[in-house]
Amino acid sequence: MRFRSTLALSLLASFALAAPVGAQDQPTAPEPTSRTALIEQAEQEKFDKLAPAAPGKAEAYVARISDAFLSGNMHLHAFWQNAYSGGGFTIGAGYLTYVSPYNLIDFRGSITGSGYKRLETEFIAPELFGRRGRLSVLGGWREATQVNFFGLGQTTKQEALTNYGFTQPYLSANLEVFPTRKLLTIGGGVELSQWRQEAGSGNSPSVENKYTPETLPGLGAQPVYLHTQATVGLDSRPARGYTRRGGYYAVTVHDYHDKDNAFGFNQVDYTAIQHIPILREAWVLAFRAYAQTTYDKSGQAVPFFLMPSFSGGSDLRAYDSWRLKDLNSLLLQGEWRATVNRFLEMALFYDAGKVAHQRSDLDLHGMKSDYGIGFRFHGPISTPLRIELAFGNEGYVLNFSASQVF
Amino acid sequence: MARRTTTSFVAVVLLGLVAAAATVSTSGRKFYDDDPIARVPESKSAVNAKELDIDLFFEYAFNLFVNASKTPSNTPAGNINTIDEVPDSSWFTNRIGSTPMTAAALAKGPNSDTPPAPEKWTLLREKSAGTNPGFTARDANGQTWFLQFDTPDFPEAGTAAVEINTKLFWALGYNQVETFVTSFDRSKVDIDSKATVKRPNGSRTPFTEDDITRVLERAARNADGTYRASAGRLLPGKVIGSFRYQGMRSDDPNDLVPHEDRRELRALRVFGAWTNLVDLKAGNTLDTLVEENGRVLVKHYLQDVGSSLGMANNEHEWDMGWEYYYDAPATKKRFLTYGFALSPWQTVPYTEYPSVHIFEGDAFDPTTWKPQTPVRAYIEMRADDAFWAARKVMAFTDELIRAAVHTGQFSDSAAEAHLASVLIKRRDKIGQAYLPAINPVVDPRLEANGALSFANAAVDPGFSEAPRAYRAQWFQFDNATGATRPIGDTEGAAPSMRAPGGLPGETGAYVEIDIAADSPAHPSWSHPVKTYFRRVADSWKLVGLERLP
Repeated sequence: MRFRSTLALSLLASFALAAPVGAQDQPTAPEPTSRTALIEQAEQEKFDKLAPAAPGKAEAYVARISDAFLSGNMHLHAFWQNAYSGGGFTIGAGYLTYVSPYNLIDFRGSITGSGYKRLETEFIAPELFGRRGRLSVLGGWREATQVNFFGLGQTTKQEALTNYGFTQPYLSANLEVFPTRKLLTIGGGVELSQWRQEAGSGNSPSVENKYTPETLPGLGAQPVYLHTQATVGLDSRPARGYTRRGGYYAVTVHDYHDKDNAFGFNQVDYTAIQHIPILREAWVLAFRAYAQTTYDKSGQAVPFFLMPSFSGGSDLRAYDSWRLKDLNSLLLQGEWRATVNRFLEMALFYDAGKVAHQRSDLDLHGMKSDYGIGFRFHGPISTPLRIELAFGNEGYVLNFSASQVF
Repeated sequence: MARRTTTSFVAVVLLGLVAAAATVSTSGRKFYDDDPIARVPESKSAVNAKELDIDLFFEYAFNLFVNASKTPSNTPAGNINTIDEVPDSSWFTNRIGSTPMTAAALAKGPNSDTPPAPEKWTLLREKSAGTNPGFTARDANGQTWFLQFDTPDFPEAGTAAVEINTKLFWALGYNQVETFVTSFDRSKVDIDSKATVKRPNGSRTPFTEDDITRVLERAARNADGTYRASAGRLLPGKVIGSFRYQGMRSDDPNDLVPHEDRRELRALRVFGAWTNLVDLKAGNTLDTLVEENGRVLVKHYLQDVGSSLGMANNEHEWDMGWEYYYDAPATKKRFLTYGFALSPWQTVPYTEYPSVHIFEGDAFDPTTWKPQTPVRAYIEMRADDAFWAARKVMAFTDELIRAAVHTGQFSDSAAEAHLASVLIKRRDKIGQAYLPAINPVVDPRLEANGALSFANAAVDPGFSEAPRAYRAQWFQFDNATGATRPIGDTEGAAPSMRAPGGLPGETGAYVEIDIAADSPAHPSWSHPVKTYFRRVADSWKLVGLERLP
């Protein structure tokens, strides 16, 4: 920096002010007789002190990190997804490595303060069928220690809280196809897993202390499922992780086949999402409607732990996780988002949800609702941090998430 | 923090030394015989300059979170000659405003007479930077080109912007890459046997047909199945990276002025506003080692000037040219009002053409225009830098602007006319904003008979009313000591006046004439432009002009 300052002043004098600055400082140098000679003298002085051009320490450090990202050599990454909703603050990490120019394997794990654990490995082939398909093969194991259960139905009380735990090994494969590369999406998947219920370790009573297998379908069961699903949808969003425009409309059909034919069932999910930008995206009105309906197989029951519910963080945001649960559910959400800058948006939101034993009862009457404000730190296609304060008639909740709400 | 303090201290001490030296010197002269120099000597070889990578993320972060909060230092430009002009150098060549320019010359710009031969393209590698799709390819003549296509939503827009701005920035004086509009026919494409593409895992593997498909899927396709492309010729010499908009290359002996103090880089704030050149960053510059007159010099290029005009890269980047990527005041305003404090870009009306997108001149304000991130040279621009730049912009006649726009080869003549009209409007806004802002006396001439004449850069194009009067203070000037002796004062309503009696007549004599204007609308014009003339044979030569201290 000292070198630079000297030259700056020297040149300023050389070019315009015409004060022969170096004359007294360097008595041995002959006094230039022309402007050209004066500048040439400065060039000679710098020539004698040349040094390699190199970035500073901070820039070099940033460059190393960005190079690692761009070169595919960034193997370690954070992993914020917990084993199951309601586990609390999560820490986790993963190790990602490419097995071919495009395909990769990710080894990852997470743990929460309440002991939820998740360990899994995912293989991703993102560019199948001429970049029209994406395959994910996932295998892992997870444990949830204190999953909330408030009973079945819309009118359950907060005081009815019990909890249960489970472990689950799982192996799944999901293929998503974009036949036209735009808009139309078709997906299919298969998963083999076993749900092993355990007593809850939370502060509330464990679920088996309040219910019996006769009063709560699936209590104590350890079903092994072959779960298949198929989705067809229209997706006009520029990106799934963050968008200000476009929509997503999809239907997903599930078949849960219990190896013992005791707890098999079918389920259909309906999703409708639309983002409406206003005034060049100064604001965005965003809406989501989501319904889950289950269909029992003759002689089999839908186990309570797989019934449609609201997990909390992205649906009924002012309520405890898994606050409502029954055979069918309906969720309606609206957000008024305001663009603050390219990386931050705010949102005022309203959620309403309802569960029902009968599909015909899925209407707008008696819905639980909440409202709140959120702040989303985002990039062009992802939302690394979402902070929301939600208020409902059972209190308020401060949510942190590493994903877009919808 | 400690480092900054130390640097500031050194600068203050050095400033003191300079001042002291100038005060006590008895031999210091203000002007040399070769003043004003027209070209910087650049006398030393830079053969040992090595490639320098400048990290994009670091530069963005530094610009947004360090430079954006800097206040201008008010340091005069460091590379101007004694008449307040930028001499030619490896950075800049005086063209428009200095020498007459025809529409044909402007339309040709930096181009040679050998456009690409698109009868056959041999692909060499992918395009690694920028948002528009493209390739590096060899044409039928074996020349290497960087091909860039338009995006499907904005056919012709991106390639036209490259063509037009290449011509404009060449005329403004910058080193530019040769570019041509050409065509790309997939049926006439080969893949070089050594061509590779960088994959997500970091490896380079052979270029495949699917890699071509992947790029062309993102490109606007012509009705006949071909693709329109902008072809930039491979630069001569050895590329050694980019230049920064601040600091200097420590391995280039001829790089003596901190880049933030280079007037032609500061002036990009004005030229960028005119053309909406928002992507000011090191990554859009190139330094090359070239041999000239037996010396190896670092030649500095502005490249990729296509992220400009109607910003046709992305349908939804409405804020380009209006805000930085992160703009603290705008962020605060929208945050506190939940977005109800609307920014101009949210409401300004546009006349949109697919081949232009969003570019307008009515709401445009050159003084509030912003690039994506504020480089240091942008921050350091002073009023005299802006004045110099505005005169360059005003040197583009309507005819020249239309000639430049025509090189975009638009198929829609209405779009072409619209784009030209917007550039004309923005040119005039620039002149209106910057020319009257300081004393606009320009082009002073002192005839042998003592007749002084000059022009008014704000009044002549009609941006300001003529001042009530011009006043000139005349001095004999001692070039050896800087001492002055009054000769007399003159005054007149017109930009010309006669010298008072007592003007020296001997060869080598100097006079200083301080010219001010009395304009109630422009109090700043009362600050005189100091002009200096040296007697040579039977005439007076302008050797000095100081517009601002």
